[in-house]
Amino acid sequence: MDTADSEFLKRIQATYRIEAEEHLRAFSSGLMELEKTQTKESHAGIIEAMFREIHSLKGASRSVDQKEMESVCHPLENLFSALKRMEITLRPASFDLLHKTVEFLSRLIADSGKKQSPADLQNKRDLIQQLVLTISEAKNTPPGEEQVRQTDIATNVSPADIPLRTSTPPEPARELKLARAEVVKIPISKLDPLLFQAEEFLQTKISLRHQTNNLIDIVSEVNEWKAESVRRRGRHSMSVDAQWNEWEESDASHLNKLESHLSAMLHALEKNHHNLERIANDHLDAVKQLLMLPVAFLVEAFPAMVREISRNQEKEIELMIQGSNLEIDKRILEEIKDPLIHLIRNCIDHGIGTPRERLQHNKPSLGKITMTFSVRESGLVEITVSDDGKGIDKTRVLASAVKSGSISEEVAEKLNTDEILSLIFLSGLSTSPIITNLSGRGLGLSIVREKVERLNGSISVETLEKEGTTFRIILPLTLATFRGILVGTGDQRFILPIMNVERVIRVKAEDFTTLENHETMRIDNDILPVVSLQEALGLPERRAVVTRSSLAEQGGPPLIRIVVLVSGQKRIAIKVDEVFDENQVLVKGLGKLLRRVRNISGATILGSGTVVPVINVADLMTSAIQAGGRKTASDSETIPETKSAKILVAEDSITSRTLLKNILETAGYLVTVAIDGSEAWARIKRGAFDLVLSDVDMPKMNGFELTKKIRNDAGLSKIPVVLITSLESREDFERGIEAGADAYMIKNSFDQGNLLELIRKLI
Amino acid sequence: MKDETLKLLRMRAAVMAREPVQVNATGIILDVITFTLATETYAIEAAFVREVYPLNDFTPLPGVPSYILGIINVRGEIMPVVNLKKFFNLPEQGLGNLNKVIILRNDNMEFGILADDVCGTEAISTDAIKPLPPTVSAIGEVYLMGVTRENIIVLNAEKLLSDESMVVNMGGN
Repeated sequence: MDTADSEFLKRIQATYRIEAEEHLRAFSSGLMELEKTQTKESHAGIIEAMFREIHSLKGASRSVDQKEMESVCHPLENLFSALKRMEITLRPASFDLLHKTVEFLSRLIADSGKKQSPADLQNKRDLIQQLVLTISEAKNTPPGEEQVRQTDIATNVSPADIPLRTSTPPEPARELKLARAEVVKIPISKLDPLLFQAEEFLQTKISLRHQTNNLIDIVSEVNEWKAESVRRRGRHSMSVDAQWNEWEESDASHLNKLESHLSAMLHALEKNHHNLERIANDHLDAVKQLLMLPVAFLVEAFPAMVREISRNQEKEIELMIQGSNLEIDKRILEEIKDPLIHLIRNCIDHGIGTPRERLQHNKPSLGKITMTFSVRESGLVEITVSDDGKGIDKTRVLASAVKSGSISEEVAEKLNTDEILSLIFLSGLSTSPIITNLSGRGLGLSIVREKVERLNGSISVETLEKEGTTFRIILPLTLATFRGILVGTGDQRFILPIMNVERVIRVKAEDFTTLENHETMRIDNDILPVVSLQEALGLPERRAVVTRSSLAEQGGPPLIRIVVLVSGQKRIAIKVDEVFDENQVLVKGLGKLLRRVRNISGATILGSGTVVPVINVADLMTSAIQAGGRKTASDSETIPETKSAKILVAEDSITSRTLLKNILETAGYLVTVAIDGSEAWARIKRGAFDLVLSDVDMPKMNGFELTKKIRNDAGLSKIPVVLITSLESREDFERGIEAGADAYMIKNSFDQGNLLELIRKLI
Repeated sequence: MKDETLKLLRMRAAVMAREPVQVNATGIILDVITFTLATETYAIEAAFVREVYPLNDFTPLPGVPSYILGIINVRGEIMPVVNLKKFFNLPEQGLGNLNKVIILRNDNMEFGILADDVCGTEAISTDAIKPLPPTVSAIGEVYLMGVTRENIIVLNAEKLLSDESMVVNMGGN
């Protein structure tokens, strides 16, 4: 602890020096300004500013115990206070004195920590005396004196000359030292846009990678084409048609050229991508470094706070802090400050008893709160706040939770220790019998959890009765670095934060066992609940979607994808349909309208421009447990397997398309969508559909053309076609019938019941 | 020839001429953006409209109230989109295009609302906006400024933007 303390002191000293130099520099330039300025109006402003500088300097000096500085600042402040109140005015001689004082102070700052020489001490005493004298003298001088100063300056002296009139010449080396500061203080408001830009870079990088991959696909397609054409030529080499051979050769040479162009382009793009990736990453890292601050800045005020609160409660408590030199993203430090204060107060309020109570339990009367900061694994920091108090009374927590209606009594009986403890993070729960101004309102810990989770962290609690309580917070070191796994369920995709993903596995259905109506599976030696992501999120149950990967597995027994999620001490197995790749993602907020959405902490934009929600794992775990309970109730009435009719919906408006799809899927149809006529046609040719529902007004190929194509195709002509449109004219209606549509619906009079009835008639 | 051109121009002018907007001492001219939603035409004050954005794709969010269509990507920014029809509980009649998003904003709030088609901008005098008889509209009075002579329903953008009941703030579990 000793070395840590002296380390800390050193850092504080360094910070103080920067701050003091800054105040003094501002004061000094104010002084120059004051000499130059003639009008009384502007004087007032300058004097006010200078007064504030010297006041802050005095305050800063006092806080780090720089008595020498403080003793000089004090009369200086008094002088400016008198100036401010217009009780006195400055004479030329006062300027000399002020410059001398500035010079002395700057030397004092540079030498702070060193012992003062006797000469310096004498110098200091002289300055103080003169400053005090200036105040009392000026007060006795008639106001006419002011004139003298003004003429004095106006006639001859340029401001730069003034310091030369001091009795002791200033030391230029000292002045230089002040000017050549190696540390600059930049307002954080200037750093934030820098970070934003660095993060935007990241988005470009992600898009570029996506484009590179697209180009790789194109190149391989061209290669395939080339190979095929070579094969074809090989087979028909006997061709005698000279013209044909010429065409073939010309095709082949074009194809070669295309392929080499594309390869060159891909090569260049890959190079640019790598460059940009490096630059973007380095840039982001550099900017993030700018935003890293030692924990000391956060916890500085904590020991004093603990002393004060515990004194108010007649308790004796000491706060120990370990690892305060760890550097953490400034934004995280700012966000975590309040939660930590909450936890400390919680320890004082609920954890540690009065000295008498403690002695009764054979504990030293002095209570101890320990706060530690340590790096857990790469990019994660662990913060613990522990007390050596009485621990958490589990029966009281349970009783309180039942009373507040958070859980029912039946549920309460089944909970294990960890589950009971996690109840304290619910809102509306407090074990404190009285409400103090600190805690007891039952909001504190739920807010702490909320804040921690918003930072993508997690919080857990351990307690030993009569021994103490430890809160454990895991946080990322920086905000921007965020890796996630892209998963799919049904036709939606989500990002799972990598810090919550323990592993991704594939299992067989027989690996699950049902325990008390809940599906579970054994992982390591734990029995974990199994819930599908779809259920946990409350998404409507869709019929199995045929995915790329499940097609690939046909033949063997179907494997189920499981992601094991962990948050705090809890683990759960989540079923997903697909697991795509792991990615660095940039998490963005959902906008001001969506202040808090259950299970979703934000969203990210994929390289393709698609928006994907990011899962809030702590929320999801609770939702999953609740969903698991619901599921068993509805499971008994399993829907009989019937072969559903397949419908193709062609519609260019995304909202209408989604609406139609939902209506039809809810009614039990298998729906495929197409965004325009030509895509619809391509799909119709490939898949066997029982009905086509198409918009009329679509780009590329409209509904009339699509209908005609279907009617003119021998194999497809029997498929019923329903046109749906905003066109209302008689003429369009006739065109639709003419094209061969079976029915024609007007958007304005659209009604879901009518549509479903119509479809039932046609299929 | 010249006369004929003049005649033609006059005729055009007569056709295109509109009644001048009556400006009374109390009337304020509002610049509005008009748009259609199902069978009705609405107007919203242009001062609160950041931009009109085409809706090509959106991401639904699980568990949110039904008036939240989802979120969209507006040049790298995530923007929530509200379906006013659902928010106002208007009868689900007809199937619109719904492929435009009008992004509303003030200092404290920003979101998009769905529209079938954006017609354009107009200047209307507040005097010309008459309160809507409550039986006619299912939309709560507070969200409406009234209706114009041309039957354009004028929404109160400021009210919509500052309406706490629209904000989604779901507690943890």
